[in-house]
Amino acid sequence: MFHWLEKRPFFFSVGVFLVIAFAGLIEIVPDFAQASRPVAGTKPYTLLQIAGRQTYIKDSCNACHSQLIRPFKSETDRYGPYSLSGEYAYDRPFLWGSKRTGPDLHRVGEYRTTDWHENHMWEPTSVVPGSIMPAYKHMFHQNVDLETAYAEALTDKIVFNVPYDQPGMPKLGNSKEDFPAAQKMALEEAKKIAAEMKNQDVKDAVARGEIPEIVALIAYLNSLH
Amino acid sequence: MENIRELQAFGYFFFTVFLVVVLYAYILHLYRAEKKGTRNYEKYGNLALDDELHQEPVEPNEETTSASKEKKEQ
Amino acid sequence: MQNAALEYDYTVSKWFTYLAIIFGIVGMSIGVFIAFELAFPELNNLFGQYGTFSRLRPIHTNVVAFGFTLSGIFGTFYYVSQRVLKVSIAESKFVHGVGKLHFWLYLLLAAWLVVSELLGYTTSKEYAEMEWPLDLLTVVVWVLWGMAMFGLIGMRREKTLYISMWYYIATFLGVAMLYLFNNMEVPTYLVTGMGDWMKSVSMYSGTNDALVQWWYGHNAVAFVFTVPIIAIIYYYLPKESGQPVFSYKLSLLSFWGLMFVYLWAGGHHLIYSTVPDWMQTMGSIFSVILILPSWGSAINMLLTMKGEWNQLKESPLIKFMVLASTFYMLSTLEGPIQAIKSVNALAHFTDWIPGHVHDGTLGWVAFMIIASALHMAPRYYKREIYSRKLMEMQFWIQTTGIVLYFSSMWIAGITQGMMWRAVDQYGNLAYSFIDTVTVLHPYYTIRAIGGTLFVIGLFLWAYNFVKTMQSEKVLEKEPAFASPMGA
Repeated sequence: MFHWLEKRPFFFSVGVFLVIAFAGLIEIVPDFAQASRPVAGTKPYTLLQIAGRQTYIKDSCNACHSQLIRPFKSETDRYGPYSLSGEYAYDRPFLWGSKRTGPDLHRVGEYRTTDWHENHMWEPTSVVPGSIMPAYKHMFHQNVDLETAYAEALTDKIVFNVPYDQPGMPKLGNSKEDFPAAQKMALEEAKKIAAEMKNQDVKDAVARGEIPEIVALIAYLNSLH
Repeated sequence: MENIRELQAFGYFFFTVFLVVVLYAYILHLYRAEKKGTRNYEKYGNLALDDELHQEPVEPNEETTSASKEKKEQ
Repeated sequence: MQNAALEYDYTVSKWFTYLAIIFGIVGMSIGVFIAFELAFPELNNLFGQYGTFSRLRPIHTNVVAFGFTLSGIFGTFYYVSQRVLKVSIAESKFVHGVGKLHFWLYLLLAAWLVVSELLGYTTSKEYAEMEWPLDLLTVVVWVLWGMAMFGLIGMRREKTLYISMWYYIATFLGVAMLYLFNNMEVPTYLVTGMGDWMKSVSMYSGTNDALVQWWYGHNAVAFVFTVPIIAIIYYYLPKESGQPVFSYKLSLLSFWGLMFVYLWAGGHHLIYSTVPDWMQTMGSIFSVILILPSWGSAINMLLTMKGEWNQLKESPLIKFMVLASTFYMLSTLEGPIQAIKSVNALAHFTDWIPGHVHDGTLGWVAFMIIASALHMAPRYYKREIYSRKLMEMQFWIQTTGIVLYFSSMWIAGITQGMMWRAVDQYGNLAYSFIDTVTVLHPYYTIRAIGGTLFVIGLFLWAYNFVKTMQSEKVLEKEPAFASPMGA
């Protein structure tokens, strides 16, 4: 019986596949519906925050920063209340990271301000002496691609039923045609952040209707509570 | 929701028991075949050593080593 | 069958081996560079936005895991499969063509990957950073490999598949399944008709995404760094030493054990996260059980050398392979220890984890690929290996490099983990985060030096390989067992 299998590559492969697929069937599939329910108060990201999140991903901030506070006193003392599953309901992809070369950022919006981020991203050692983080000066003169951010948010809404435009939730629109309106809102949001910044180039850019990466990134970081 | 959880638990239990039984049967088979002399698995170790193209196969595949040398894809 | 003109055709195998050498040097040089960046952060801004640690880190992992390692695996596959199936790939124009196409598309994919990640296109999911068009190309490359594999199997003269083939088949199936599920994503341009066409959104969100990602992430390690490398050692160590596998039965049992247990262990990446508790526990328990099949293979390899330990002294190739199985035992013991909940609480997020990854990948994966390429070189070119001394040198330089690497990372990881949780007499945290970073500087420096030594070894490897091609000592026929080598 066993030798029969060993001489028949096709059935052998089917056997191997069954054995390795078993774990996935048991572990992964049944929990899907449950884990994705948002906890009360969790809102989808605004367009500007999505653009900031894309910047965060583009420069792989998650290579060095986690967004997952584990339920230990040493972690809740340092970073705030431990993370709950439902808080990540609108995170596509998840950004937990696997290495803390720098500190956790899951609640960084609670204790860091716009001007702190501005100084830090320009020259990390100016606010954290001894920091080994690179300076991200290019974010100050490189603009975000707001159309791509809008495409992502819209996909979230259309395909995954993310509750944009519902009472108390961020506004987005329903199609490509609604982009100009959404863009205007994002710019308003960006202006508020630029007002708290001191970099003149960034201020000028926002006044011209552009959105530098740093502004969107700060909007995203400030939204992390 | 409860249903799928139950299904999952039963599926996990019975499939695991099944695989354990198969694994032990396999071990038994490996050693019994060798003892009875029907098949000595250790000779397959030579598959790596006697691997020149002109050497006799350790266990010829009738479909490709018979008189007709038709090659089959897949 | 007794056709004198018929010979094994190593064309595709050679191409992949060249790529393994090139990607090994490129990927690990980037690794060394970013290791120095951690010790000396000024280096980050040498190349503007394209030289930061964060931009380069995914390129390092991808080029090494999917450039160097996969090339090495494919290179050995197109060599081993012909031999253990006793069939030449040249016997079928079709299969040979598939193999060549497999190579060229793979090369295209690798180049595209490097460029796109340098530009910042990434999905952010570790070891699955490629955006959707590259994922599609990956599927094509993988299917081509499968076609070549089952094409060769269909033509085989050996009725029974050797254990290495079992492991290659498992690699093919396992990666296919994991890759497809983890990379499910929706291209945003196709849904909305606007924005960058390369961008996509993950099908899963939050905790689910993490679950699928680490089910994949852990098992990508299983099916790229473990399963195919076992395929390699099961062929090359017996062949080079002239000893059949110590116990073929044990190799079969370890195979099934590994297949069943490995996939459950993915949960150990998510201990104390927000995934359900039973899954974390399952990940912990199965990680510990995983020691059995892993050590089954490793001990089988070491016992294959029983009574032949003199070869360890005589042949640097045997040295590489025996040390590789020893490193395999080390990291398959270390992994389960880190998966124990209380240890994980300390080790997770620290440098102990990259330390663990690297004693496995450098000591086990890279050593096996290095040894297999040098074993194949005299058969590729019918020439003696250029220099035994060079191989000895490479062996000792690289071993020193690995030891420096993992010992410094162990100390760094445990130090940092302890400092994060340290409290003073009033119960307040004793250290600010930056204290736990600056303290690591000496260990980061040692790690970077260890990595540099390893890359120096790679250059020796490449040099030895190229010189073998041009060696004047021509062999009349393929050596049966031990590879002939010049002084």
